[in-house]
Amino acid sequence: MLAAGSAMAQGAARPADPKRGAVIAAQGTATVPACAQCHAFSGASDSSGAFPRLTGQPAPYLAEQMRDFASSKRDSAVMSPIAKGLSASDLEDVSAYFAAASGPFPLLAGPDAAIIKKGETLAREGDPAKGLQGCNNCHGPDGAGFPPRIPYLAGQYAEYIKLSLTMWKSGYRKNSPNVMKPVADRLDDQDIAAVAAFYQQIRNSTDTAQ
Amino acid sequence: MAERLKPVDVVTVGVGLTGAIMAKELAALGLKVVGLERGPRRDTSPDFQSPTIHDELRFSVRKALMQDNVKETLTFRNSADQTALPLRRWQGFLPGTGTGGAAVHWNGQTYRFQPVDFVYKTHIEKRYGKNFVDPDITIQDWGVTYDELEPHYDRFEYLCGTSGKAGNINGKIQPGGNPLEGRRSREYPTPPMKETQYGALFRKGAEKLGYKAYPQPASTLSQPYTNPEGLTLQQCVFCGFCERFACEHYAKASPQTVILPVALKNPNYELRSNCQVLRVNLDSTGKKATGVTYVDGAGREFEQPAELVLITAFALNNVRLMLLSGIGKRYDPRSGTGTVGRNYAYQTVSSVSVFYDEDTRINPFMASGSSGTVIDEFSGDNFDHTSLGFIGGAYVGAIMTNGRPIEFHPTPPGTPTWGPEWKKAVARHYNHTVVLTVHGMSHPTRTNYLDLDPTYKDAWGLPLMRLTFDFPENDLRMSKYVTDKTVEIGQAMGGKTVVGAPRKGPYTSTIYQTTHNTGGAVMGNDPTTSALNKYLQSWDVPNVFVIGASAFQHNGTYNPTDTVGALTYWAVDAIKNQYLKSPGPLVRM
Amino acid sequence: MSKLSRRSLIKASAPVGAALLSGSLADVAARADTPAHTHTAQLQPSAAPSTGTGSGEVKASYLFLNSEEAAFIEASVARLIPADEKWGGAIEAGVPNFIDKQLGGAWGAGERLYRGGPWQQGTATQGYQLPFTPAEFFRTAIAAINSELKATTPFAKMSATDQDAYLHALEAGGKDLGGVPSKEFFAALWEITLEGFFSDPVYGGNRDMLGWRMIGFPGAYASYYDLVDQHGIDFQHVPTSLASDVHRHIHVRPEIPARLPE
Repeated sequence: MLAAGSAMAQGAARPADPKRGAVIAAQGTATVPACAQCHAFSGASDSSGAFPRLTGQPAPYLAEQMRDFASSKRDSAVMSPIAKGLSASDLEDVSAYFAAASGPFPLLAGPDAAIIKKGETLAREGDPAKGLQGCNNCHGPDGAGFPPRIPYLAGQYAEYIKLSLTMWKSGYRKNSPNVMKPVADRLDDQDIAAVAAFYQQIRNSTDTAQ
Repeated sequence: MAERLKPVDVVTVGVGLTGAIMAKELAALGLKVVGLERGPRRDTSPDFQSPTIHDELRFSVRKALMQDNVKETLTFRNSADQTALPLRRWQGFLPGTGTGGAAVHWNGQTYRFQPVDFVYKTHIEKRYGKNFVDPDITIQDWGVTYDELEPHYDRFEYLCGTSGKAGNINGKIQPGGNPLEGRRSREYPTPPMKETQYGALFRKGAEKLGYKAYPQPASTLSQPYTNPEGLTLQQCVFCGFCERFACEHYAKASPQTVILPVALKNPNYELRSNCQVLRVNLDSTGKKATGVTYVDGAGREFEQPAELVLITAFALNNVRLMLLSGIGKRYDPRSGTGTVGRNYAYQTVSSVSVFYDEDTRINPFMASGSSGTVIDEFSGDNFDHTSLGFIGGAYVGAIMTNGRPIEFHPTPPGTPTWGPEWKKAVARHYNHTVVLTVHGMSHPTRTNYLDLDPTYKDAWGLPLMRLTFDFPENDLRMSKYVTDKTVEIGQAMGGKTVVGAPRKGPYTSTIYQTTHNTGGAVMGNDPTTSALNKYLQSWDVPNVFVIGASAFQHNGTYNPTDTVGALTYWAVDAIKNQYLKSPGPLVRM
Repeated sequence: MSKLSRRSLIKASAPVGAALLSGSLADVAARADTPAHTHTAQLQPSAAPSTGTGSGEVKASYLFLNSEEAAFIEASVARLIPADEKWGGAIEAGVPNFIDKQLGGAWGAGERLYRGGPWQQGTATQGYQLPFTPAEFFRTAIAAINSELKATTPFAKMSATDQDAYLHALEAGGKDLGGVPSKEFFAALWEITLEGFFSDPVYGGNRDMLGWRMIGFPGAYASYYDLVDQHGIDFQHVPTSLASDVHRHIHVRPEIPARLPE
């Protein structure tokens, strides 16, 4: 269900302006707080899991999430009022800003190697006993993303990945239901922890030498 | 010396769609069932995962999921005055192997045949007279009717979760579906797939000319679905790697996703992989099967005794096994006697290419195996053939399945075949071309048949099967007629250049034209012209049933799989409700 | 009108060598130790490319082709799919390397080829009927060609016009190349060139996904549910190889068998 007004029109009339988006990210607008307060100016957020890393996510994906927050297709006590308070061009601009932003992937203390290995198997092969395909099928090479609509998981915070999967599993997150709910339903808590741990560290590893 | 194993109730030769359904149903009754699959065990995870499976060179060009020609192939000739030579590589059709068989790497296109298909001879003679058809054509009635099969079509479609829109529910025409289809008892289990760009362009053109476009019935699913067996399939993502590949998402109906896990959970069922069945063994009367002899992956030979032998391999291999085992009398095209090997048929396909300006983007790589838009006005006998000089027809549609570049790089006529202009044309036209498919009937003839080759052998030392086939003139006339009609649709679609390529003879094994090989062990009411009775039971050896497209008297307009599934449920019903209660011939002559 | 970030656009502006960046992306740092975000990471030409690209031609190390065979292959594929002002051709895409690895591998040795005799020529509809494996087929034909041209001008030394004429003559058929009919040889040479230009870069051809970028084919990762009904969308997408890692480096493996593991 769409919120009132042209704020929810599909796409702004002009090309997205990442410079204007930077200003909104840094300062907010008259009606919404700055994104940077929670997500950091670069979008790198923090590892608590409450705020996902936005840096470099595809702009159309970010914009779609914002529209879903505004229409309550995706419900969040924090994000829904913010998304409702932004115009269509605001949220395109701010999405474009974060899509173009860059920032390092912090090295975080992670769980043991066995858990990461389990997550790697789930990411690449899935789980035959559970009738589950690998996450990489849609989310790209070890979770690098599949623009424009499928976000990267590589380098996303484990706590946030866990939160999202749990929200789908419980039915509280309702967007992408036909794709993500069947997946989330097949994961138990240990699977979720493993896959989250794997993706959080995959872009920190230094084993990319040829 | 073959090691003789403990007897079981049922053995299935092949664990593809038909073998998996049979196994699950009969094991559920408490019978001991052994499934012998010549290929390897494989499953969605980990074997079918992308990106590894999305490798056009390996799977589409080099045919990694198919039968290995080194071990076993066919020999082929157009006519009996030629020497059949081995198909040293697969090109024209692609027999699969491995758990799940061809339903792992099919496209999911799921059409029922028409009611008149099952009484085709009677229907054609009634409508056009006894002398209308070329005398060489050997069409016959199938011995079963559409009404008898309807509940089994329904059951198979609900097993698969087929996505579509009904056009005729119990006689009431439904908007959005195919108004010309045979009646069905209810709606499809899931709604139609999203319409693609090429489908939408076709729909506009077809509807401009007054045709009724409808969504291709798809067993690549439009949404998650739990089937009556309790198995859940997921939503297709239009990855464009459907035919010749396996589905990574559990979104394509295959034995692994719709039924085999249930059979495997039953301790009455045992699946043995890498086991090549050499023959069905018969007793001294030749009228009773005692079991099968097979060789396992390590080369050891075994005899598996069984009360009931179900030949459930690919259609071509079904016929070969009957011939190697001496089940039924082999067909002799000169005398017209014998039944095993007669009425082989194929599919008569052609295409029309529609080239657009650069402002029309097609994105052909965003496709599913069965995300198409089609019309039915030219299928089968849906139009009056009185003045046309042929019988049969074709469905027409935009059913593109991929944009994989090694094999899809269309260029308009006049483009050089290589060099700088070729390269520019490929870059120009790749994303701006729609290819329409004309998918037509294949009529059996007296001279198209299957038998055993006198010269060439497989890796086990047994004769290869020999295929003698060419298109009947009837089918080439049919192809020309419907292709011309399709060119008109292409023009109505707004194409800048529209090129029709009707099927021309002779049939060549070097160009891929579907793996819809049918017939050779046909079902019917007359044991002199059919190898099986209406329940797919061998007339000659009553404890052998032969399930597959090998049973088709002719190949209809449509892809075979839905009808194969329906016949499987029809046959297993007969086995459960009649044969097991009183083993013996189910049809007395 | 595409809503995608310009950073996700990719179109090589020069035909030779690695993917070059368009001007607006030049400000993105090419530091391998500070991985940039998704869209630009894959555009870094300097980040340890395993395909051995840099600017200019790359000498592949041939495992199968001897120097005379390689000279013929390199010169002929350069005519079959030439470089032009917009896009590199077969040489830039590494097609000779692809051919070398295919002929030297399992497919070249006759994987999946029914090799039993007796052998007869057969009709055109009966397909390939020679006893040669692909490796033998190419080796025999190229040896015959090189031997014939030794007396006049080797193929690699001909002018482009003469090379084209020679290739057209092969295509037309009528010559016997040591037992390989010239028409069949040309068809096989063309087929393997196409494969080398358009197959996944994991096989050593389609370097930097040049062939895919030319036509706009997105590659091995494919998930389009959200896009398929946006009819006619301008889908600008950096292609991915099945051998891409998370940093979009491609790990080339020349030998992948055409069968599943048993």
